[in-house]
Amino acid sequence: MNEVSYIGEHLWVGQIGHFCVILSFVAALLSAVSYFLSVKNRKNATAVGWSVIGRNAFYLHGLTLFTLIGLIFFAMYNHYYEYSYVFDHVSEDLPLKYILSAFWEGQEGSFMLWMFWHVVLGVILIRKEKTLEAPMLFVFAVAEVILMSMLLGIHLPWGDDAIRIGSNPTTLLRQINEAPIFANADYLSLIKGRGMNPLLQNYWMTIHPPTLFLGFASTIVPFAYAFAGLWLNDHKEWLKKSLTWSLFSAGILGTGILMGSLWAYVALSFGGYWAWDPVENASLVPWITLVAGIHVHLVSKNTGYATRSVYFFYLISFVLILYSTFLTRSGVLGDTSAHAFTEMGLEWQLIFLVLFFFLTGMGLLIYRFKTIKNPEKEEELASREFWMFIGSLVLLFSGILIISSTSLPVFNKIMTYFNPAYEGRVIKDVIGHYNKYQLWIAVFIAVLSGFSLFMRYGAALWPQQKKKFTQRMVISIGISAVLTYLTSLWLEYYSWQFVVMSFTGLFSMVSNLDYIISVVKGNLRVAWSAIAHLGFGMMMIGMLASGLNQKAISTNPFVFKGMFTDEDVKKYVQLIKGKPLFSQGYLITYLSDTLIDRERRYDINFKKLNDSMEVVEEITLHPNAMYSNDFSKVAAFNPDTKHYLTKDIFSCVVSLPPALSSVEDAKKIEDSLKFTTYVLSPNDTIQVGGYTIKASEITFAPTHKEYVKHEHDAGIGVQLSITDPQEDTTYLVEAALGMEGALMYNYPAAIETAGLRVKLAQNTLDDFFTPDDQLEYKEFTIKSNGYIDFEGYRLQLTGFDKEPQHPNYTKQDKDIAIAASINVSGQGMAEDASPIYIIRDNQPMSIKSYSGKSGLHIRFSNIDPVKEEFSFKIAKDKRKTNDISVDIATDVPRTDYLILQATIFPGINLFWGGSILMMLGLFLAAYERYIKNKK
Amino acid sequence: MNKNIIIALILIVAGILVFINASKDVSTYANFEQATNGDRVKIVGQLAKDKPMTYDPQNNPNEFAFFMKDDKGVEKKVVLHQPKPQDFEMSEQIVVTGELEGDVFNASEILMKCPSKYKDEEIAVKEQEGKI
Repeated sequence: MNEVSYIGEHLWVGQIGHFCVILSFVAALLSAVSYFLSVKNRKNATAVGWSVIGRNAFYLHGLTLFTLIGLIFFAMYNHYYEYSYVFDHVSEDLPLKYILSAFWEGQEGSFMLWMFWHVVLGVILIRKEKTLEAPMLFVFAVAEVILMSMLLGIHLPWGDDAIRIGSNPTTLLRQINEAPIFANADYLSLIKGRGMNPLLQNYWMTIHPPTLFLGFASTIVPFAYAFAGLWLNDHKEWLKKSLTWSLFSAGILGTGILMGSLWAYVALSFGGYWAWDPVENASLVPWITLVAGIHVHLVSKNTGYATRSVYFFYLISFVLILYSTFLTRSGVLGDTSAHAFTEMGLEWQLIFLVLFFFLTGMGLLIYRFKTIKNPEKEEELASREFWMFIGSLVLLFSGILIISSTSLPVFNKIMTYFNPAYEGRVIKDVIGHYNKYQLWIAVFIAVLSGFSLFMRYGAALWPQQKKKFTQRMVISIGISAVLTYLTSLWLEYYSWQFVVMSFTGLFSMVSNLDYIISVVKGNLRVAWSAIAHLGFGMMMIGMLASGLNQKAISTNPFVFKGMFTDEDVKKYVQLIKGKPLFSQGYLITYLSDTLIDRERRYDINFKKLNDSMEVVEEITLHPNAMYSNDFSKVAAFNPDTKHYLTKDIFSCVVSLPPALSSVEDAKKIEDSLKFTTYVLSPNDTIQVGGYTIKASEITFAPTHKEYVKHEHDAGIGVQLSITDPQEDTTYLVEAALGMEGALMYNYPAAIETAGLRVKLAQNTLDDFFTPDDQLEYKEFTIKSNGYIDFEGYRLQLTGFDKEPQHPNYTKQDKDIAIAASINVSGQGMAEDASPIYIIRDNQPMSIKSYSGKSGLHIRFSNIDPVKEEFSFKIAKDKRKTNDISVDIATDVPRTDYLILQATIFPGINLFWGGSILMMLGLFLAAYERYIKNKK
Repeated sequence: MNKNIIIALILIVAGILVFINASKDVSTYANFEQATNGDRVKIVGQLAKDKPMTYDPQNNPNEFAFFMKDDKGVEKKVVLHQPKPQDFEMSEQIVVTGELEGDVFNASEILMKCPSKYKDEEIAVKEQEGKI
């Protein structure tokens, strides 16, 4: 291959970047080895020395990683498209505010984000953690080695193929693509970036990934603590230190997951906040096991029971995070998930990542299992720890169920290794399958979280406390029963199962509220567990209300019922622009739409009517359609939601007419139209497809709404009135043609309801205008108040303008420009014209003026300052006809409608409020522990 | 008896019951022939591009009909009770969930596998700017 020396590349960015990748990898490796040796020699004097090396190597790893991130940013900010990662994620038109999102849109970027948080957390631990630094940072460093290897981009020969290790973010575009364009040394000036997926261009993409990845990264801390405890065979110390971290980790991971579901709800067209999508499940399960871990952690701290479970839960939570990464990034989910990354050939590396931590963690736990002691005596049935342990087991059970079902594609894949003919299994009804079990688990959890706080560790003073406990429970049960009845007036519970759910959720709320008020007396510093439990109960009620009782307002009353049993398939409705539709107590009107950049924004008006058909409430929502970066088709529909305290009204366009959805379809439709040409004289009437069409007047200054948005050298339009005799309606429209330079633009008139399209025939402009070089100009010279008679018209000079304005004239510095004001009249018409005379660089020039009605072309050709005389060149169009020919197509598909989904989610704020309370409880607890540990 | 053993036993029994129960939620992809017993099934297939598709939103926006060929080559009419999905014609593979009634498959859910939008795209070349 010929070496081409390329122009304009910034190779130094990639060279330093690549160097950083390798150095960072090596530094992490050195750090891991040093920390390992430090722990191994912990009884010797060399331990400190190894730790120092490990620490500094970790710092170096962090420094080079941050430099790498900085360089990639720099390349993205400056649009260095020679880099494949930049080319894939950035484009000219990408607003600067999305540059962060573009950075972590791809796999490499999100790995870097993850490592970034690991480094931040690792450095905090180096600073804070004195005794367990070496074994913990060993875990961090190993994780960083494996994660960094995902960015190495090394190809190792392996038989006929090459094994690829990692994907380097500094790879050049021309290294991975073979395209003829790279034969051009200046290819950079010819390419533009692909840019970001329009679906992701919103602020959620800016805040959700960093939060979620901080959540992911933070789960390594409890893992590392547990690992250190096992390694050093000290099952006490780490338990004291790690609770703050676990609480923080659960809080931030939960927040990240919630943000994802809030994003799905408000900005994506899912029409819900949880869909049991594999990607959602994979991040939920580690959160569940982490929460279970926190509960047994509290048990272990307070009573000494369940330490083995603490180890198990903390180890498995991080492994499950790694497993979720494998699921989402390896491509194994295939078509079962809506939002997995695309395949990148990193499967084996990802499997190694999961297995490494799973096997070393669990191996160590089994190895040390016997040395972890439990108290001799069994837990009391009436003790808090017993029920907390049961609760953790229920959570574990929930997690196992979810992850097993989610792993079905993995199971299928494994089976096909053994039996290539194996037919993959799928879940028939995904949401139903998960809900069926998880809702019952929620019932258990709600009951447990409702009464367990009223019990004491070690069943202390149970005989005396028993009566009070029973009393409180009876009161809570009583209140919850009443509340269940009251909510049944608001919500419909379709079967007894929902009544049970509602009751247990309310029970959890009531008894925890009781606990906050009467036991801890409103002291929020110790009420965090009750706050989190209260949140859980509230979330359950929110799920019942918004999930079970959501109501589609966009049900088309005209679709005959009973044809199909599944209720939720009837949640879409067609709206025609300007035609109100009455459905489910709402009058819905598609008012208008506007195209702003790549976004088509709709105005949909909802009027809520009462029984006497009076408007009691009115809102306008603005769902939109986002076109792809090249504008070839709709890339995404974004919903718009009006939030009330007690409900949300959600609206989303789900489908558009083909002509608006894709350029290809629009062209197909355009090509399929059959136009027939009609010749019309002004005020002539013709009959087309049952409509009466009358041409009113020819104009040379069209007012067509698209025409006026552009500048033209010349234009022609015709007013048409189209009458529908059946509806007794007349539409007034205009069809126009515009010319700019050598290009002709057609502005047809469309009558949507009649399915008619009318355009001026291409030859209309030729018929009326004569090109300049075919005109026969005649020159006239007159005084300042003179006039010219030409072909039956009188041209009266009325004045001059020394600051002429004309679309084709841009004033330059030394220009002398004068426009003549001329009134053209005759043959029953009168019109003003203003030709311009310009002297630029001592050269005379002129800009002609065209009088459409008379067909006169007027040039201001000379000024004689001595004689005070002015010369004009005038010519007349050689008009072939005064008739106008129009092309008319009938049966044109309409483009003035949309398909809408509109849903009411009652009580959805209970769901959000409850979830937020849960996270708040976790963060409050983490903060309390932090303060306590400081003292 | 030890409480923990009782709990473990309860959990194991519950676990087995749930798994037996849950395994009924799972099935392989069916084809049209297997769907004749009227069960709710998932069928994988391809769009029969030579047959007509009908979608008339003015009449019923929740009904879109097309012909699908399953992996055994059997072709049947599918009525999807939803608006016509975007990029439907571009789909390489379709998975529909629903029931066969007579000769028509009534589908309430659809999943499409489309060629990745960004993968095989040519390197876009800037449009020539300016006029001649």
